[in-house]
Amino acid sequence: MNWKKQRHSGTVRLLHWVYAPAVLALIFSGLYIHSPSRAFGFKRMDSARKTHAVAQFLLLNSYLARICYGIKDKNYKEIIPNRKTLKAIPEFLKYEFFLSEKKTKYPKYNPGQKILITSLAGLIPVQMITGMTLYFKPLQRAVKAAGGLNPVRWLHYLAALMMVSFISVHLYFTLTNSLKKLKSIFTGYA
Amino acid sequence: MVNKDVPAKPLIIWLGTNTCAGDMLSLLNAKDPGYQELISSIAELRFDYLLGASEGSDAINVLDDLQKNHKAAYILVVEGSIPTRSNGLYSVIGYRNGKAWTALQAVRELGAEARYVVAAGTCAAFGGIYAAAPNPSKCVSLQAVLDRKVINVPGCPINPEWMMGTLNHLIQYGEPALDDYSRPKLFYGETIHNLCQRRDYFDNSIFAAKPGEPWCMYKIGCKGPVTYADCPVRQWNGEHLSWPVKANTPCIGCASPEFSDGNVPFFEHLPDVKLPGIKVTANRVGLWTGVVTALGIGAHLMGSILTGRLAETLKKDLPGGSKLKIRPRLKKGHK
Repeated sequence: MNWKKQRHSGTVRLLHWVYAPAVLALIFSGLYIHSPSRAFGFKRMDSARKTHAVAQFLLLNSYLARICYGIKDKNYKEIIPNRKTLKAIPEFLKYEFFLSEKKTKYPKYNPGQKILITSLAGLIPVQMITGMTLYFKPLQRAVKAAGGLNPVRWLHYLAALMMVSFISVHLYFTLTNSLKKLKSIFTGYA
Repeated sequence: MVNKDVPAKPLIIWLGTNTCAGDMLSLLNAKDPGYQELISSIAELRFDYLLGASEGSDAINVLDDLQKNHKAAYILVVEGSIPTRSNGLYSVIGYRNGKAWTALQAVRELGAEARYVVAAGTCAAFGGIYAAAPNPSKCVSLQAVLDRKVINVPGCPINPEWMMGTLNHLIQYGEPALDDYSRPKLFYGETIHNLCQRRDYFDNSIFAAKPGEPWCMYKIGCKGPVTYADCPVRQWNGEHLSWPVKANTPCIGCASPEFSDGNVPFFEHLPDVKLPGIKVTANRVGLWTGVVTALGIGAHLMGSILTGRLAETLKKDLPGGSKLKIRPRLKKGHK
């Protein structure tokens, strides 16, 4: 029998396809809430806000589930950068900046992917805390040090911009680096 | 026979520090109860920096007497922020023993003996306009110089009923329920945005493009969504006549702790980014983030095409990709 090695388990794929559309919905509805324009795909603030509210709970739940699964399955070790990752960065950058032709093979994720995914995983709690604070008054204590809600709004906006940027980079490399790996997020196998 | 040492009514000291006097003037517009009722039947306003008839040592002696003989019996209301530079010499209340008695000393001494301490207006509550950059007198909020609880009643100026309601609550029922910024939840329990009469316009995306238009002010920087106060329902001028949005101008968030530095420009959705020598709008930050990301991705894509990496990927991964021709010259040239 021809057994292929599984790259992404069913749980990882399921959760990915819950939070990926949720993040995209949050970005577009969030940009509309920031600056209402039909270019972001909404006609009314009410629908943008409802989309934002539903998507944030989808993201919250799938994110927490992913964290739990990562801890249970210990696959967080594949994602979070370690000392080895940091040492591999110069070589990785050389290749990505076209200064070297030597493409190193990494166990699952390259240093860039690890840093990108970890950064996104770090930005999501920032968005959750700032977003929830803007929504629920009892949570204001969590961000009192920021100096008020308008600075919190800024933080939410800045983190959203960073997420847009990181996700664009993620999509670009996903589509151009390896189509087999791209296929694996749908089928599980590379 | 009335005992002179035991006041029949609660005592109030209204102290002015670095202030424009707007909060006291606003309080005079109070109605049900009004100012007259406050001083005639609710409380005894023993000291008021603005309306007091006495001056000099006569006025300061009243404060001395209250501090020494009426400990824990008076409510100290402070209007204005407290300058701390040069030991507080940028605001002097009067002279004691021939020496300047600064606002910093006065609020610490009087505050230590007061039953309640109330900060009237955003300057006293959070620093406000006097603490805005570059803040030459190093003004701070009342809470920053006192190590006891301060009840904050912010607003620029305060709505007369916020202060009248707080004072009455303190006198009749004690301390009201306070939020995380020590503001009475009675008046600061909900956002202006959620109470706004124009909320329907917001939900339906009917926005004013400039001040003066009778629509939702969100797109021209209304701070209603991030400001907790009941202006839309309570309204102003004692008679509950109007409030900023009803007068076709955006809320500037004057009751917020970040007012005013954290809220400017008032007619923009988000504050500008201020770095040494640079001031950028939030939208420009967004635009530049997009441009830098697009340029980075574009440059990498161009490099991948020119070095043949992209073609290699397609050849390797696409079904039937082996028939694709890689441009060897360009690939060879890159070493």
